[in-house]
Amino acid sequence: MRDVLLVKFAVRTLGRNPRRTLMSILGVGVGCGIVLYMIAFTRGSNEIRIRAISESGFGHARIAPAAWDKTRDSDLRLVDWERDLDTAAGMSDVRFTAPHSRTTALLAFGTRVAGVEMTGVDPDAEKNISRLVRVLSEGRYLEREDEGVVVIGTAIAERLDVELDDDLFVTIAGAGGEMKYAMLRIIGIISTGSRTIDSTICHVTLAEMERLTGYAGAGEITIVFRDPSNIDALTVRLSELLDGTDPVLSWKVVIPSQGGDMGSDTVFMNILVGVVIIVAVLGVASAQLTAILERKREFAVLIALGMKGGQIIRLILIEAVAMGVLGAVVGLAIGFPFIYPAATRGYNFADMMGGDFVTEGVLIDPIIYADMGMWLIPLAFAVALFSTLVAGLYPAWYAIRTNPTSALSLREA
Amino acid sequence: MNTNLVDVRNVTKDFHNGRITVEALRGLDLAVHEGDFLAIVGPSGSGKTTLLNLIGALDVATSGDVLIFGQDLAALNRRERAELRLMSLGFVFQAYNLIPVLTALENVKFVLELQGVDGGRHERAMSTLEDLSLGELANRRPNEMSGGQQQRVAVARAIVSRPRLVLADEPTANLDSENSEALLRMMRGLRDKHGMTFVFSTHDPLVMAHATRVVTLLDGRVVSDEVKSAGTVTGSTN
Ligand SMILES: Nc1ncnc2c1ncn2[C@@H]1O[C@H](COP(=O)(O)OP(=O)(O)O)[C@@H](O)[C@H]1O
Ligand SMILES: [Mg+2]
Repeated sequence: MRDVLLVKFAVRTLGRNPRRTLMSILGVGVGCGIVLYMIAFTRGSNEIRIRAISESGFGHARIAPAAWDKTRDSDLRLVDWERDLDTAAGMSDVRFTAPHSRTTALLAFGTRVAGVEMTGVDPDAEKNISRLVRVLSEGRYLEREDEGVVVIGTAIAERLDVELDDDLFVTIAGAGGEMKYAMLRIIGIISTGSRTIDSTICHVTLAEMERLTGYAGAGEITIVFRDPSNIDALTVRLSELLDGTDPVLSWKVVIPSQGGDMGSDTVFMNILVGVVIIVAVLGVASAQLTAILERKREFAVLIALGMKGGQIIRLILIEAVAMGVLGAVVGLAIGFPFIYPAATRGYNFADMMGGDFVTEGVLIDPIIYADMGMWLIPLAFAVALFSTLVAGLYPAWYAIRTNPTSALSLREA
Repeated sequence: MNTNLVDVRNVTKDFHNGRITVEALRGLDLAVHEGDFLAIVGPSGSGKTTLLNLIGALDVATSGDVLIFGQDLAALNRRERAELRLMSLGFVFQAYNLIPVLTALENVKFVLELQGVDGGRHERAMSTLEDLSLGELANRRPNEMSGGQQQRVAVARAIVSRPRLVLADEPTANLDSENSEALLRMMRGLRDKHGMTFVFSTHDPLVMAHATRVVTLLDGRVVSDEVKSAGTVTGSTN
């Protein structure tokens, strides 16, 4: 170790004005604690949003027909859905796949009618990806062999005033543009707790959909990845595997408003984090600058002795590192008591959100939990060290410009 | 011709303070020889500190040449001047010499660390202190030492790397006569034993008594240059 004394020099210097040093460390610590809390909270709420989207049946991504993103036409079908499905299911990062086909339908019972988007599903796959189809108030969900049956949401059932085993009269526009008619028996009624969602659910099997519409295959394949924190990269990987025949869209593209919300939440958080760090940096920088001004003669002596600018910068940055390390510890100590309850008990936003926690078919959990983990520790050190090092730069630059002649004369003392 | 350790030739130094220009040195010539124990005397404001700053490569002349070990200082950049100070010059300042958070021993070692000396720093620093009978101060911090002790430790720091030239600006200004005497004896001893060259400024007649050569400044010029005792042959300048 060549710079033993430089380190001793720096560390002991912090003890020269313990009150100022403690204030600086506390300043960095408070800033660091706030940053940790904000990031833990935002990460937690992003995670919950992604989970809610996924569990509402949207998955993390979907393989969709090339024109779908622009037209949003539910009658579009994939070029080769079985190959797409095999490829996706064969990718080790993919946890679940679920093919869907959709069409607009008019349901009628007696004199009552309801327009819905009817969805054709693979029943077994659907149970994996969507928690909505696991909450039936009556009857059962679809099986693969089912024919001539439909599962609907309670809100639709109420509107049409139907019960289990009633036959619905279904009208749809077929592939040739002609109207098609069918009778479907209700075998299950789903009650998710949200009227909005319960008024949209109308599921049949994929085979039924093919029969009804005349359009073969699936209109999209919903994908759930194993690692929800890596969706963007995995989406790209999957589209590479598919060779671009059918594009893969992440949930942010599928439900742009949700993606936009998360994007703006993240931008807002980044701005706040930036502001907090800037405030901490300015506070520490001004304390450091005062300290350097008080040591002007000392720096003049050091420069007169022949100490180089680089060594002086190193001296001041070692002081900054020592403060940063302590600031990180303080930051963790300050952040933890806030992050822990937020991560374990969560915040209930039910009152703020009003009755129904649904946007665009996504059933949102009103309780938001902060994300707590070991990642907070390196983050704390990164934030605190970044702040103290940046805060040390100007004082260091100032110190190396000290005129060494002021060491010899007492003129400026 | 080039046996001179320092050559100051027709040097001027102006300071600009707002609209006022102070001519601190006005065409000064001085040659310092190896082994000189040279006192620069003169009234306050006569330019002693300014001259030492130029010789010590801490400042640059307005005109004229300053050569140290035959090297023209005007040809060196900031970094090279720092390197010259670090490797070849020793400094003792009037006060506040030592780094307050380091002990006497650490202050002495620090110079070796700055020089990038790798092994034996501790031994070299300790033996330098002991040679100057400062061994028992090794673990004291500056605020635990008297002014005289601090100045002697500063001398130890200045000479630990055996510089060819040691510069001291009024080193005894803050000391009583007893401590001044001790400091001068110590420096003179180093010069006699190791042939180190010392240039120091002073008002103090006691200090002048120890010098081998006394150069008197007045208004930024040398007005007298007298050799007091044997030890070096000097050409006189005026
Ligand atoms: N940095 C400076 N700025 C302005 N004037 C200075 C400066 N340094 C020295 N002087 C002036 O130069 C002259 C010589 O000063 P100095 O070398 O300190 O004299 P001495 O050390 O003999 O007392 C004085 O008139 C002093 O006021
Ligand atoms: Mg002076």
